[in-house]
Amino acid sequence: MHEYLLIGIVGILAIGGGLGVVFLANPINNVMSLLLTMLALAGLYAAMGAHVAALFQVIIYVGAILVLFIFAVMLLNLREAAGRIFTGPQTPGIGGAALALAIAMGTLLWGSLRKSPVPDEGLSLLERAGVHRLAIDLFTDHLLVFELTAVLLLVASIGAIIISRK
Amino acid sequence: MELYLLLGIGILLFCLGVVGFLVRTNAVVLLLSVELMLNAANLVFIVFSRYLHGTDGQIYVFIVMAIAAAEVAVGLAVMISIFRLYGLLDISKIRLLRG
Repeated sequence: MHEYLLIGIVGILAIGGGLGVVFLANPINNVMSLLLTMLALAGLYAAMGAHVAALFQVIIYVGAILVLFIFAVMLLNLREAAGRIFTGPQTPGIGGAALALAIAMGTLLWGSLRKSPVPDEGLSLLERAGVHRLAIDLFTDHLLVFELTAVLLLVASIGAIIISRK
Repeated sequence: MELYLLLGIGILLFCLGVVGFLVRTNAVVLLLSVELMLNAANLVFIVFSRYLHGTDGQIYVFIVMAIAAAEVAVGLAVMISIFRLYGLLDISKIRLLRG
């Protein structure tokens, strides 16, 4: 029961932040709404026992990516450019299409979970994948992916420097 | 049943990201919407790694976070470059990506 309450409250916070990202006019408010969503998701990860992912969510997403967004918004002075926030008259159609997408994904998930159900125990009862198991998995089975990600980050940072240089 | 609730939150966040990406005019908000979609995918990864007792989901979440960081670095560099060229970031007004 407490778990439902926790997930409900944090989920409402997350979805409220998502609504803020889409519907608020000022870009700095959009970034702050995304901050709310990310902190709420970090709370959900911690509640599910993925403490390392929650920590990285706060450190990488909030501490690096959102700060970069705030730098860009402040640097570009986007406040005056926020006269018209939505593109043309097709906006309601896109909203309907997104609703249809949500229903389709929900139906697909529901159907596949009916067919091969996942053992649905309480959140607090299961043993958790700690940092020890994660590290062993990451540096044995997924070592190639890890190295390729490092190369990707290097290429992206060099590319960002080259693109933004005049 | 918590599984379904968490997956519902993930689906709603993803669709909000899709709507934001398609209807907003500001290019920085487009990148924010992409982040929203990536976060929804991360949530679903963590949920299934939780309920299937695996670690693969969490490892993919780290990879997605690194890719999101790379995407934001390149994307914001492109945005700054476009802003320097046009003086605005309204994607319905920007016609050319040529420097």
